[in-house]
Amino acid sequence: MTTTPSAAPSDPPGRRTGWLVLTASERGASHAAVRSPNQDAVATERAGAEGVVAAVADGHGHPRHLRSARGSKLAVAVGCQVAQEMADRLEAGTAIFSQPDPPATAAATADEISRLTEEFLVPAVVSRWREAVLADVKADPFTQAEQAQRHSGDDATIAYGSTLLLCMVLHDWLILAQIGDGDVIGVRADGRAVEPVPADPQLDGLVTTSLCGSDPRADFRVAAVDAAQNQLRAVLLATDGYGNAQVVDEWPKAFSEDLAWMLRDRDAGWLASQLPSWAARCASSDGSADDTTVALLISPASARPLAGEQGEDADAGSEETTIPAVPHADTVPVHLPVAQPPIDPVTTRRLAHRTAPEPVILERSIPRVKKDTASHQSSGDPGDEPPTTQWRPPRTGER
Amino acid sequence: MTETLMPGGGVARRPLHFIVMADCSGSMKGEKMQALNYALRSMLPHLVDWERDQLQAQLLIRILAFASAPHWFVADPVPVAHLSAHWRNLEYMPMGRTNMGPAFRAVAEVLSPDQLERRALRPAILLVTDGLPTDPPGGFETGLASLLEIAAGRSALRLAVAIGKDANSEPLDRFRSPDVPVLVADGADEIADRLVTASIAVSRMSEVGVNRGTLAEQLNLAEPTRRSQPEVPTARGSGQDGYFEDIL
Repeated sequence: MTTTPSAAPSDPPGRRTGWLVLTASERGASHAAVRSPNQDAVATERAGAEGVVAAVADGHGHPRHLRSARGSKLAVAVGCQVAQEMADRLEAGTAIFSQPDPPATAAATADEISRLTEEFLVPAVVSRWREAVLADVKADPFTQAEQAQRHSGDDATIAYGSTLLLCMVLHDWLILAQIGDGDVIGVRADGRAVEPVPADPQLDGLVTTSLCGSDPRADFRVAAVDAAQNQLRAVLLATDGYGNAQVVDEWPKAFSEDLAWMLRDRDAGWLASQLPSWAARCASSDGSADDTTVALLISPASARPLAGEQGEDADAGSEETTIPAVPHADTVPVHLPVAQPPIDPVTTRRLAHRTAPEPVILERSIPRVKKDTASHQSSGDPGDEPPTTQWRPPRTGER
Repeated sequence: MTETLMPGGGVARRPLHFIVMADCSGSMKGEKMQALNYALRSMLPHLVDWERDQLQAQLLIRILAFASAPHWFVADPVPVAHLSAHWRNLEYMPMGRTNMGPAFRAVAEVLSPDQLERRALRPAILLVTDGLPTDPPGGFETGLASLLEIAAGRSALRLAVAIGKDANSEPLDRFRSPDVPVLVADGADEIADRLVTASIAVSRMSEVGVNRGTLAEQLNLAEPTRRSQPEVPTARGSGQDGYFEDIL
């Protein structure tokens, strides 16, 4: 069964449109077999005057996290809410988006966005998710059976443990925040993949950081990407059920190449009809068998109009029995922008708790010393990365 | 008509690597070696059945024969059904010693991050031996340390089957996962039983919602005379300090 988020609210008059968001979520075959729920969640909302935010979350499967399906739903709801507030702040505050984007200005914009992400979005998401969880427990206390599943001394939030991947598009800036596993893949016009959120060496595929962790603020990773200058045409947010199903270890590269072609060759309605089947295949026993949730954000520079808007049935003649993804039409573009000049793009990538940024040249992974974690193996060819300005965290004495 | 296309290189089940470390030292000569081969052959159909009936994992098996030096008897990970259909008996190594350190290092190499798929499930390692390690001083410790210092080795389900009570030694306690017992086969005829028990544990480990506590209970029930030691909480395994097991 493919689940879809609720329909997008109606547009206010005069609202400009921009990025299109498609979402799909499928319960994993292994979860269906034991009648456990889909513990993933997805949400998308408008943000600011013309932006959009999408969030996916993966509730942990361990029996200790017995209410993780609720935890992930709270995570995406809180994530979208806080992102909307951040969008309002960005638009209402300084004239951050009002100037053209020569590189120097773009760098300042990236810095301002990253600062606000670290200082407002991340702490607010963490604290409000915790408040939401505690309110949920108060409204619906743990039953005796649930208490028996909990570990002694566990904070109430442990039962609701979840990851969160968040992407807001605002004035052609991607604002990204992630805690825990899952993938954020940017697709460039030329088909190259971008993984803008810094890798976390703590995530070795066997354990994950979490909103219910002891220091979730520190475990968030954030990035700000100028989508236009990076020629990003789409962004995929995916819970780990998607990546764990992929045969190819370096699947983001193959995914990006293929999706770039699809964006050129197919319309958004076709993509909307396909996305649930992608999630379903990954969630099936032919794939990871895990809950799989995706949010695909499509740039107005690439998304062709929905077929339905041209008087066609977007899913006509489909051979697949799928429930179409929800295309959030409030973000369907009406203006196709002209090609961007080849100027230096600006991207910031940070671990959320970092301060005192230090400019460095591009590198693939950000070294991070923490606890007893194994060293991270970077993936991909650094040459595939777009030009990036980023900050290297201090190498010692962290956390 | 709308065709279905999916970007990327296709999907498949997650690999579950199962490595058997088989003692082929000189002391395994005769009845023990026969029994070990019989036990391994008997174990495989159980794993084939489990793989067919479950939804998540593709079980890939390989066998490391060790004595004075390790030797990959089945070097490449192969589907368990393939190995079952093409079984060849292991042979003991005359005068071979029981050097476990180099064997641990050989396993560590194949489980290193650049060798193991990123999406692989936690591996399983089954050590079957009839004796104490005969490594030079420090050899066992450094070999075991090389295995435990990589994430996959540390998180692997590490099971040991001791052939004979005397083989159930302190070194095996150090090898095994802290929450599972050493399985003891008092005689050659019990080896098959213990390996089947181990195979069930290996197969259960990747099922949804099953955790090490459950596995430990099952193995302790199968091995009532030797209870496992309680698991020492660790930062990574217990959720302390912000880490949580990434079970589906």
